[in-house]
Amino acid sequence: MSARRILAVARRIAQGFRRDERTLGLVFVVPIVIMALLGWVLNEQKDGAVRVSIVNQAGLIGDRIVDALQTAAAEADEPMTIDTLADVDAAREAIRAGDTDLAIVIPDSLLDDLTSGTRPTLTVISEGTDPAAEAGRFQRLQALMADLAGQLAVPGAPAPIVPRIEVKTVYLSPDATTVDVLAPVFLGYFGYFFVFLLTGISFLRERIGGTLERLLATPVTRGEIVLGYTLGFGIFATLQVIILTLFVLSAVEVPAIGPIPAFTIGMGVESAGSPVLTFAIALILSLGAVSLGIFLSTFARTELQVIQFIPIVIIPQGVLGGIFWPIDQLPDVLAAIARFLPMTYAVDGLREVMLKGADLGSSAVQVDLVVLTGIALFFVVLAAGTIKREVA
Amino acid sequence: MTGTANPAFEARRGVAVEATGVRKTFGPIHAVDGVDLELAAGRIYGLLGPNGSGKTTLIRLLTGLAQPAGGEVHVLGTKMPSREALSRIGYMPQSEALYPELSVAENLGFFARLEGRSGRAAIDRVLELVELGDRRGSPVLELSGGMRRRLSLAITLVHEPPVLFLDEPTVGVDPALRVQFWSHFRRLAAGGTTILVASHVMDEADRCDELLFMRGGKVIGQGTGRELRARTGSENLEDAFLRLAGLDSEGRPLGDRGAVEGRPS
Repeated sequence: MSARRILAVARRIAQGFRRDERTLGLVFVVPIVIMALLGWVLNEQKDGAVRVSIVNQAGLIGDRIVDALQTAAAEADEPMTIDTLADVDAAREAIRAGDTDLAIVIPDSLLDDLTSGTRPTLTVISEGTDPAAEAGRFQRLQALMADLAGQLAVPGAPAPIVPRIEVKTVYLSPDATTVDVLAPVFLGYFGYFFVFLLTGISFLRERIGGTLERLLATPVTRGEIVLGYTLGFGIFATLQVIILTLFVLSAVEVPAIGPIPAFTIGMGVESAGSPVLTFAIALILSLGAVSLGIFLSTFARTELQVIQFIPIVIIPQGVLGGIFWPIDQLPDVLAAIARFLPMTYAVDGLREVMLKGADLGSSAVQVDLVVLTGIALFFVVLAAGTIKREVA
Repeated sequence: MTGTANPAFEARRGVAVEATGVRKTFGPIHAVDGVDLELAAGRIYGLLGPNGSGKTTLIRLLTGLAQPAGGEVHVLGTKMPSREALSRIGYMPQSEALYPELSVAENLGFFARLEGRSGRAAIDRVLELVELGDRRGSPVLELSGGMRRRLSLAITLVHEPPVLFLDEPTVGVDPALRVQFWSHFRRLAAGGTTILVASHVMDEADRCDELLFMRGGKVIGQGTGRELRARTGSENLEDAFLRLAGLDSEGRPLGDRGAVEGRPS
């Protein structure tokens, strides 16, 4: 093992990058653009006014509900409009025409139900094409209805007490947004993705361009090539992770200048733990991507075929790695697969550190670091194994 | 010239490359089928044969890039494959094998460092040799095909190896540059360098000290151009090759009667 030759390989990679502005852009600018876009969408997602139409079949008592809902809607933080429609058919037609989002049908049996002590049923009609958006609307409608529960009491009977709910959390503030939870893991994910893609293609070009053959006709060893690559791409992975970490953690307010409105650079995610540890986890993950890229380039004949590994390697890790769905909630088979993915441990580590403020003393973080390092080393050995003196 | 003296090589002074019964198969194909050869130090050998005759595979076996299925290769007395011996071998692959985004000097510098030669002097020397001194800062992307070939040769020579394996070094090289290449080879051989040049063009054959004809993975004839012509009663090397291969002047098989034994017994 010669440090001189490892450095020569790393230097060669750095020299290649220097003239390739587009790739530099891919490494340093694109992840930030994507993160910024993500932060923008998630943070400033517009809660469009929910348009509710009420079909009142219950007469006077129904009118009380309509009035109360209209009052409550006017006072609500998030906009909501409430009107009335004559019958269920009109409501369905309005939803079909896109004139309203939800229709509430107040049954004509309402008064009888209330006096006889039966639980009344309100029917809510929705479009039924976008569960996520509709769930949000239901939630807001339900919040409104909870406040109204008292108004449904029959005159004379005591109003049921609806408790007010105050939310407190162990880790983040109750106001934490999706960005605060997703930013830490995307930090790792993007680093991994870009490093994998670049290494895979670089090494493929090494194989098909004949330079690998020329390399192997020099005294350089396979281990030296893989370590040189890891070092060379490691420098770029390091810079990329530093830039991404800074972008995620910091928020620089830029005041309005002329027609340009004020905006913020950076996502201003509050990290509970050490930024250095955050950086270390993301970096070890990315270094593993270097040898994975070298290893998988063996199975590609063209650049296009390297790209084809993205849906096989990168996307499943995004789905199974715990970014959106906790590993514990996955079906057993998928959870078992997830335990073998580096992303799983990186996501866990990044969340432990950034959200829960865990440090190196935390056994969870220790396990994550050890497993990530182990996976990276495993692929270094595997990658070195695929570089045979017999190529072409 | 050899740098580190190897006792085995000293014992067989004069033989730089030796192969005995070397074989290489790719599935059912016998790419190299039992080749014996001895290359003497300071001579230029032409490895001639049609495409697919096994020239490249033989060279890769000699450099240790491929593992033989049978037989042995020794370079300067060291059994191949040997990483230690690689620093005394210069290998010019048939493909371009350059980093297109790197400059001329960066390409050279990289391979020089791997060979343990990091000095600017070594790079300047070969750049001057291939007349690329004025392009040292240019990225390979901007070079013409001929310039790329010259750079490829410069990389092969940067560590001053005593043994050179050149796989079709003059493909795509214009006639004037080809003459230059051959005069470099001649000068290097005069300094004691052993050179094996693979080619499928017969007009380069006369520039070699000795020729090896290859066909179907076998060496079917070895000797000087004059010897091979005389032995086969041919006027030119092309005919000599065809006779040795058992083919008529149109390239059709002659059958048993026409085949000529190429090897001096």
